[in-house]
Amino acid sequence: MKNFYRKVAFGLGPDEKVPSDPLEWAKDQLNEIPEFSWKGKILPEKELRNHYRDYVYGDRKVLRKKFKNDKDGYKREKNKLRHATGQKFWWNLELCIRYSEALKSETPVLAKLWYFWGNHFAISEKDFLAQYTTGAYQREIIRANMNQNFEKMAQEATIGWSMIHHLDNEQNIGPKSQEAKWAREKGKTKGVNENHARELLELHTVSPDCGYTQEDVIQMAYIMSGWRPKWGKKRLETGDVHFNPDAHEPGTKIVLGKKYKRGRKSLSVAITDLVNHPSCRKFIAMKLCRYLITDNPTEEMMEPIIKAWEKSDGFLPEVHKAAIEVAFNYSDKYNKFQNPENWLLQMSKMADVDLIPSPSFMDLYQLGNKPIKDQRALERLMDELGQHPYLAKQPNGWSDISEDWMSPELLIRRLVYAREAYYKKSGKSQTTEFYEEMIEKNYDNPSEILQIINQYKELVHKHVILFNLPETLKS
Amino acid sequence: MKISRRNFLKGSATTLFLAGFNFPVLANTDKKKNLVVIMLRGGMDGLCAVPIIGDKNFEKRRKDLILDETIQLNSDFALHPKLKNFHDLWQNDLGAIIHATNIPYTKRSHFDGQNLMETGGHIPYSIKTGWLGRGMKLAELKGDGLALALPMPLLLRGIPSNDNFYPSKKRLPRTELLQLLKSVYADKSEHDLANMMEIIANRSMMNNGGNSMSRKNSSLAHKAGLELKKINGPRVAVFEVDGFDTHAAQGGVNGSHSDSLIEMDSIFKSLEKGLGSEIENTLVLTLTEFGRTIKQNGGRGTEHGYGSAIFMAGGLLKKSQVYTDWPGLKRKELFEGRDLNSTIDARSVYASAMSTVFDIDFKRIQKEVFWGDKLQDLSDKLFKI
Repeated sequence: MKNFYRKVAFGLGPDEKVPSDPLEWAKDQLNEIPEFSWKGKILPEKELRNHYRDYVYGDRKVLRKKFKNDKDGYKREKNKLRHATGQKFWWNLELCIRYSEALKSETPVLAKLWYFWGNHFAISEKDFLAQYTTGAYQREIIRANMNQNFEKMAQEATIGWSMIHHLDNEQNIGPKSQEAKWAREKGKTKGVNENHARELLELHTVSPDCGYTQEDVIQMAYIMSGWRPKWGKKRLETGDVHFNPDAHEPGTKIVLGKKYKRGRKSLSVAITDLVNHPSCRKFIAMKLCRYLITDNPTEEMMEPIIKAWEKSDGFLPEVHKAAIEVAFNYSDKYNKFQNPENWLLQMSKMADVDLIPSPSFMDLYQLGNKPIKDQRALERLMDELGQHPYLAKQPNGWSDISEDWMSPELLIRRLVYAREAYYKKSGKSQTTEFYEEMIEKNYDNPSEILQIINQYKELVHKHVILFNLPETLKS
Repeated sequence: MKISRRNFLKGSATTLFLAGFNFPVLANTDKKKNLVVIMLRGGMDGLCAVPIIGDKNFEKRRKDLILDETIQLNSDFALHPKLKNFHDLWQNDLGAIIHATNIPYTKRSHFDGQNLMETGGHIPYSIKTGWLGRGMKLAELKGDGLALALPMPLLLRGIPSNDNFYPSKKRLPRTELLQLLKSVYADKSEHDLANMMEIIANRSMMNNGGNSMSRKNSSLAHKAGLELKKINGPRVAVFEVDGFDTHAAQGGVNGSHSDSLIEMDSIFKSLEKGLGSEIENTLVLTLTEFGRTIKQNGGRGTEHGYGSAIFMAGGLLKKSQVYTDWPGLKRKELFEGRDLNSTIDARSVYASAMSTVFDIDFKRIQKEVFWGDKLQDLSDKLFKI
């Protein structure tokens, strides 16, 4: 049962009491969205997007012209521009905010589910989204909606600037729209870009199991045509998302047998229908079980989550509580191989690793400067571990299937970074007593584990073995 | 410009006729053959790497990017002067080029293009496995893939148990500790973990306790060459080279596009060094998402284009050649009036390569890996079969 603390959160830290009712402990964390526990600066998405704008404009419109014959000069000035817009700093700050929720907040269960949703509505590696805005998108659109209905999160994520840009909806132009006509007059062709529409169906809502066709994807793309950032000479592609009727495909569209009129409202109506489709709740229930419990969820696992969804109209706190309860009920039967990020956070929490730089230290950063090494450590660490949360390779986010995390190099990273982490611990936690207590608190078979790790005398070796035992790799 | 597009198809009629008899392919069981794919990310400029000789349309459109002192390959094409290692291979019949080729993707997004170059599909993100992974599955090459990267590339997805090598900068724990973990995994029936720990423990011994190694592609390629050489080693390796997206200061011989090409060139050299005589049984291919515009832009760079080139190396090549169905560079011959056209579906080359290296009938690969898409079997033109 004790793996439940690691399954739905990151284990119990040294200062935490063992909850008398673990299930209630977990469920109680899901009703409200508390303030961030990070006490340093937190920038709004809009401000970060302005830095992004300054970077792309400065590079594309200024430097490329100025240094067209000077490769080295271009590289040098581009580096200055990176620092002037904080390119190497912001994502480190975002990771501090993100990991404080796992390690320092009263609501680690909420944090673990936040990471799930950020990955569900993933912004994968594209342009410089990761460096500037992905973290903020995950705060303002994903986390902020975790006490709302799924529909609200889906609506906001779909027309969020990050998502629209990430999935190219700015290039999605109705072939019969005014803009396509203008293009034809100039001898150019403009047409539909299905990317965003396909992912909305496939990854974000109903999934291929609902049986939509390629025609449904195209019709959905027609509905979405015209939603894009407001273009400006200086803002380029970083303007706020709006609906531009000139790019919108006229006429009625049909998706999954339902008709939608032309115009601004049709997208939101279509999303409402998608999130209420039975395939959507089944898909989300399956993904929650896969994330928390096992690679191959059963119908019995999904059922209570689907029921909670139906009863509450997709109200996320209720859906989450149902998922947590299922995880609790199956905690003795199933262990889930943890991805590198969750593994790192478990180790940091249970072994009291000083993972996150302090807010005052991060706030020393001044725009224009290169951030110092320790201000950049988190981002580099995540890259080294093989799971930078803002750099998923595909719009389907990081995999939650065990096999995808099994490779020699990835396991090597866990060995070497377990060792590194040990040296980031405070002196008071570098004692045998500390480890005995922690193991007692977090594992169901403490004596067996102690017997294994005690084959080594030095604590650092005990630490490395503990965090690479199957009991830890899987929770 | 001397050549028109038809010239190159002459002389191939006989071979096509013979190929029609469909002689059964005999699996060559006595030697292990290797396939290496180098992914060139960002859009490799085929006309910078392998420029056409004496074409006014070309010279006019990118006058500031024309290279000096190129290496002449034949009467029509030259080689970028910094590709010295490739040129050595070429001179020994170990290097060849496919020109005016690309995957069937024309929309110019890196993001979508790189997805499609790895999946081999038509619709971005609709396929979740790589063409190489699917080909290996067909050839039952489980556990035979090696990625020189940390996350497993999409290209290799589709078959489990691939190995990867991308050395950590930190020291591995001592070997006894790894052995202890391995025995704990075995006791607990965690066989996948135990197998991986076995690989890691062996590495640790090889590396003298785990001194960190370089992650430079030239160093990774040497290591990969040594592994591929082993009779029970991997049969497939995948590399990545970034930085081909040169919108600005693409420059001439010392420009930014050259830097990435030089990195690619270093892989050829180190692989050859690592492989030794086994280069004879190896085929190396490059892969990119698209070529670049013919016309230079205001920043003396180039924009995203369409047709590009494929570099090939190794002893499984038939001969040194620039194989192309050259589309020409007059405005009306260009794709959308701006890009080198693609007259050979790059996937025909990859399917033919897998057919040759994995000893699988081309038609099976065409059907099972590329959904029966219309592809040409180029095996007898390009490779020793």
